[in-house]
Amino acid sequence: MTIASDIMGSILHGALGAPGASGAALPAIEAGPWWVSLIPALPLLACILCGVSAAMRIKSKLPAWITVGCLGVSFALTAAMFQQLAGGRSVTIAWEWINVAWTDSGGHERSLIANFGFYVDSLTCLWMLFVTGLATLIALYASEYMSHDVGTGYCRFFAAFGLFVFSMACLVMGDNLILLYLGWEGVGLCSYLLIGYFYKKPSAVAAAKKAFIMNRIGDLGLALGIFLAFVQFGSVEYKVILEAAQPWLAAAQAGHFDEIPATVQLIPILLMIGAFGKSAQLPLYVWLPDAMEGPTPVSALIHAATMVTAGVYLIARTYPLFLVSEYALPIVAWVGALTALVAATIGMAQFDIKRIMAYSTVSQLGYMFAGLGVLTSTGAAFHVFTHAFFKASLFLSCGAVMHGFAGQLDLRKLSGVGFMKGWQFVAIAMLVGCLNLAGFPFTAGYFSKDMILAEAFVTPHMAPIGWILLLTAGLTAYYTFRVFFRVFVGPKYYEPGDEVHAHSDHGHGDHGHGEHGHDAHGHAGDHGHAAGEFHPHAPGWAINFVLLTLTVLSVGAAGLYFLGDHGGWVGKMVHASSANYPPIVDLAAHSGEAADAHAHADHGAHGSFLGMDPHKVMYYVSGIVGFVGIAIAFALHYVGRKTAATANADKLVPLLGPIPKLAQGKWFVDEVYDLLIVKPLHLISIVFAYIDKLLVDGLVNAFGWVPRGVGSGLRPLQSGNLHSYAVQMAGGVAVLLLIVFLASIAGL
Amino acid sequence: MSEKLALLVPEIIVFLTTCIVMVVGLSPNLAVRRSCGLLSASGLFIAAILAINGPAGDGLLPGLTPYIKAVIALIGVLLVMLVAGTVDREEDARVSRGGVFNALRTNRAEFYSFILFSLTGAMLCASASDLIWLFLALELTSLPTYVLVTMSTRGTRSQEAGVKYFFLGALGAAVFLYGFALIYGGTGSTKFVDIASIIAQQGINQITLAGMILAIIGVSFKIAAVPMHFYTADVYQGAASPVTAFLAFVPKTAGFVSLILLLALVGWDHGTDKVSVGHTLPSQLRLLLWVMAALTMTIGNVLAVVQSSPKRVLAYSSIAHSGYMLVGLIAGPGDYGAGFAHNGIAAVLFYLAAYGLMNVGAFAALAGLERRGRDGRPVEIDSFDDLRGLCAGRPLLGWTLVVCSLSLLGLPPLLGFFSKLPLFTSGIASGEIVLVIVMGINSAIAAFYYLRFAAVAMLEDPSDGPKPLAAPFPARAMSGLVALVLVISLSFFGDALMKASRNAAVVEGSGVRAVPASPSPGHKAGDRHDAASPAAAPAQRVGA
Repeated sequence: MTIASDIMGSILHGALGAPGASGAALPAIEAGPWWVSLIPALPLLACILCGVSAAMRIKSKLPAWITVGCLGVSFALTAAMFQQLAGGRSVTIAWEWINVAWTDSGGHERSLIANFGFYVDSLTCLWMLFVTGLATLIALYASEYMSHDVGTGYCRFFAAFGLFVFSMACLVMGDNLILLYLGWEGVGLCSYLLIGYFYKKPSAVAAAKKAFIMNRIGDLGLALGIFLAFVQFGSVEYKVILEAAQPWLAAAQAGHFDEIPATVQLIPILLMIGAFGKSAQLPLYVWLPDAMEGPTPVSALIHAATMVTAGVYLIARTYPLFLVSEYALPIVAWVGALTALVAATIGMAQFDIKRIMAYSTVSQLGYMFAGLGVLTSTGAAFHVFTHAFFKASLFLSCGAVMHGFAGQLDLRKLSGVGFMKGWQFVAIAMLVGCLNLAGFPFTAGYFSKDMILAEAFVTPHMAPIGWILLLTAGLTAYYTFRVFFRVFVGPKYYEPGDEVHAHSDHGHGDHGHGEHGHDAHGHAGDHGHAAGEFHPHAPGWAINFVLLTLTVLSVGAAGLYFLGDHGGWVGKMVHASSANYPPIVDLAAHSGEAADAHAHADHGAHGSFLGMDPHKVMYYVSGIVGFVGIAIAFALHYVGRKTAATANADKLVPLLGPIPKLAQGKWFVDEVYDLLIVKPLHLISIVFAYIDKLLVDGLVNAFGWVPRGVGSGLRPLQSGNLHSYAVQMAGGVAVLLLIVFLASIAGL
Repeated sequence: MSEKLALLVPEIIVFLTTCIVMVVGLSPNLAVRRSCGLLSASGLFIAAILAINGPAGDGLLPGLTPYIKAVIALIGVLLVMLVAGTVDREEDARVSRGGVFNALRTNRAEFYSFILFSLTGAMLCASASDLIWLFLALELTSLPTYVLVTMSTRGTRSQEAGVKYFFLGALGAAVFLYGFALIYGGTGSTKFVDIASIIAQQGINQITLAGMILAIIGVSFKIAAVPMHFYTADVYQGAASPVTAFLAFVPKTAGFVSLILLLALVGWDHGTDKVSVGHTLPSQLRLLLWVMAALTMTIGNVLAVVQSSPKRVLAYSSIAHSGYMLVGLIAGPGDYGAGFAHNGIAAVLFYLAAYGLMNVGAFAALAGLERRGRDGRPVEIDSFDDLRGLCAGRPLLGWTLVVCSLSLLGLPPLLGFFSKLPLFTSGIASGEIVLVIVMGINSAIAAFYYLRFAAVAMLEDPSDGPKPLAAPFPARAMSGLVALVLVISLSFFGDALMKASRNAAVVEGSGVRAVPASPSPGHKAGDRHDAASPAAAPAQRVGA
């Protein structure tokens, strides 16, 4: 018995209760209302209408309003779906998609059923609420943000945006793994299209390709996992798969992983690879920071709030499968924790504020994975939920800065932005977002992070992960406030970015900004930027409104924590779904005060934090760690800073030797990948290119001229002469008869 | 007797239409004369509906009869639309300019009635339960086509083509009639059920075998298979495009139906020396068809590659398609209960319908265009240059040509792919791996010339100089449109047709596959008391 099985066994031991208790599993599946299908259908409609707008060469903001409208209705329907759910599960089948039945060689009836069906339980609702809600808000934000591109580009952007939300809805709501895969590939495609939105910029194209290829590696794992799940369970539908895993939970509880078939244990490991790719975990995380080449609303929605959490969703959705695997969850925990740490260290040394946010996203995703790995699916889901709001708000704030300062993102070239005219909203949004991210006490981020941290110390054998995460929490607080102290407070200073010139390419003349409702910033003057005059233009109403809403939401998310025991409202949502841990729930025993102590009381080996109960002490510890991080950032980046470019931190850098350089170079992971994977592959591809050129092309060419040659050879027979035709036909009959005759004699 | 008549209701309807058309086509009133096409199409359509709802046949493949009759009649409707305006164009113009109508100079009546006669013959082939019947039906299919070719254009090439077609057709008929005579000599009967029962009980003797071989080779004239393919290109090119479309479908379908019926006489359950009950034709017939299939598809394809005239390309490709379908004949209906993918006969029946549609579409694009000749008369287009940039200039014809040629190529997810796939799978299931490889290579060769159609129409710019004009017959373009819509919709919703062809391919009275589990609609058990003994007999032989 290996250590891992020991871990999983002892974790599961107390939690599962008596083996016979599996009867009280999940609520029965009902047929859902038809309008659930509209939730994915409306974004698709928006996508199609934007395509039509592009075809009609519409040069107004119409595509944006179409998209915002459709997404808004979609969000309203999601809310209605949530209202109607009431703790049950339902499946709405939009139409039968794949339904094949056959008899295999062993005489067993097999079938492959994958409907365009939507599986709705509380986990689905949780995800869809923030996906559609944020998508609506961010589409509104983008209506202003993308305004310099009104025309075909604008339509293209919103078409891809609509398609993304459709794909994401398929991913989250699909009632089977095939539909999930469809959505998975769909969001990957949209991500590719939107990262490469500025397709004339080589770095954007390279980033788009990198994201796509990195995701493909993960997708291979996911596809194999789905195939294996079908082979093992004979179905790809959740309702079958999740039930099928139940019988093995008892074996997992006893630590008898050798009783569980190896294929069953392999499935989650393959699925996990897909999740690592999509959610940017080690070793496949390098695409996400580069993905920031896309327009900021895209970074906020796809690469911070929604798409990158698809991996978390996948694991949460198939949690029962992960629980019966000996190695899967420990791997998830370690990968998550290490990703969190590595990304945080890189984030500390970057100067591009959007990139810092990107690394913090990678780092926070690592937190969520670690949360899943240490068996607090509630904590992970809660962190997904809170992170979606505050990270979107952070990105959009950075985006507002980028938009206003002509693409400037270098924190050494911006300072005191918060004190400039018209930038107060952005600064407030940024501050609230930073506090959340840093885990400042009583913010939403603080509560969700605490749950993961505490659970990491509680869960046996997982204490090292807890320490890594705690360290990361400190680093996170530091680098977050490094951005805030340098860019938003301090002496006022700015250098415009290089998009001043890029702007002129868009032909400013035809859409003077005044028309778009934010004429207060005096932007009209900067058309004459040849003289080097640049005035930052503060955000308009749409951006401010969205930032304000998101700020309110990310503050309000903290309140959710108090809406119920054990994880608050999110906890309730997760408990009522398949992602619940412990996996077999006696719902009756779970209501009321007993719930808090549900599993922990039974834990044979209840972990501790330096001898104290992690659940109680972690609130203080993580609060202190957050404070320390912020204080260090304050000391190093605010105190005594006279210019934008330099701060106290610069004096520290030489003392740390090569570490800052390495961290700034992202630990040279890209270069290592290049050396170990890209270069050898390139070499092989050169060899194959020669083989292709010489051998394959040669064969193909031969294949081309052989029929031609034979044809030309046969052509004279087609003389057009009746006599010769008749003779040839008679001859042909004779030859055929001869062949058959000889063959009969030869006994063929 | 009355049962047999009930079986022939569709043919009788078509025949009655023929009689009406023959009279109507001679009317002095132009509008009445022009109704020939509509009348013919209506008659065929009614016949198709009656065939679909009609009784199953009384032969060895009862389901085949209604299926193939419906297919012939429905595609016949499209062909009648396609041939609009082929004859009498100058005569009509002369009359409308104030000339006096001369019944002797109009060809419409005989043109349409010959088309209907030929279709009747093809449908009668499907009803055949007797060698003599089969011979007469085949000749009824062929004889009108000789005339159709000759009268289809006013040029001498059509006359030359007609004469060639007639003489070579007579040669082919002589060969299969000789074969039929030998089968009668070897078994003492001309009735299919009797012949099948005798072969099943006593095995196949040398005279019967020789008769089968000659009959197969002779009938292969109708399907333009090697070595009886020589006429194809000349005749197809000599005839007007709509008539060429007709030739490429109707005689071919009649030929394949006849081959299926002939091969059902011996059955596909002859043992090789490996196991007690084999799954192949008698080895000599298998070898014969194997060689014919391989040569037919290869010669058809390689000759198509080197052609410069689109019509000749389509003519040679029609030979190649016959070669593919022969693979399905070799594969046979597979084990009893075999699904669509393992039933070669079902594959052939499906392919015939699919090929008919794609063929109409491709020829509609050619027939929808014309040029002015040197004397100002309209002439057919006959070069790839005329097809350049067709999608941009005439999107309907252009896209019809592109989709149909890609489908003929077998490009997924078009209909041609789904019709070729079961030929491959049934071939593999019956162990004809080498032949399937040959077919795969040939499918690749076919890409050369089919992609040329698509590329010329879709990608290239129109050539300089006078562009081809649209032929002034909307019915032609409409037939192309219908074919296009059907090809695309069957690509996605072809289930019903697949199921129908699967039911049509149930072979009764051949060994272990004796009892059909799902008889086709309208089939009554009592209809087939004759076949009971041959059905039981092979089972006994298996037991012994």
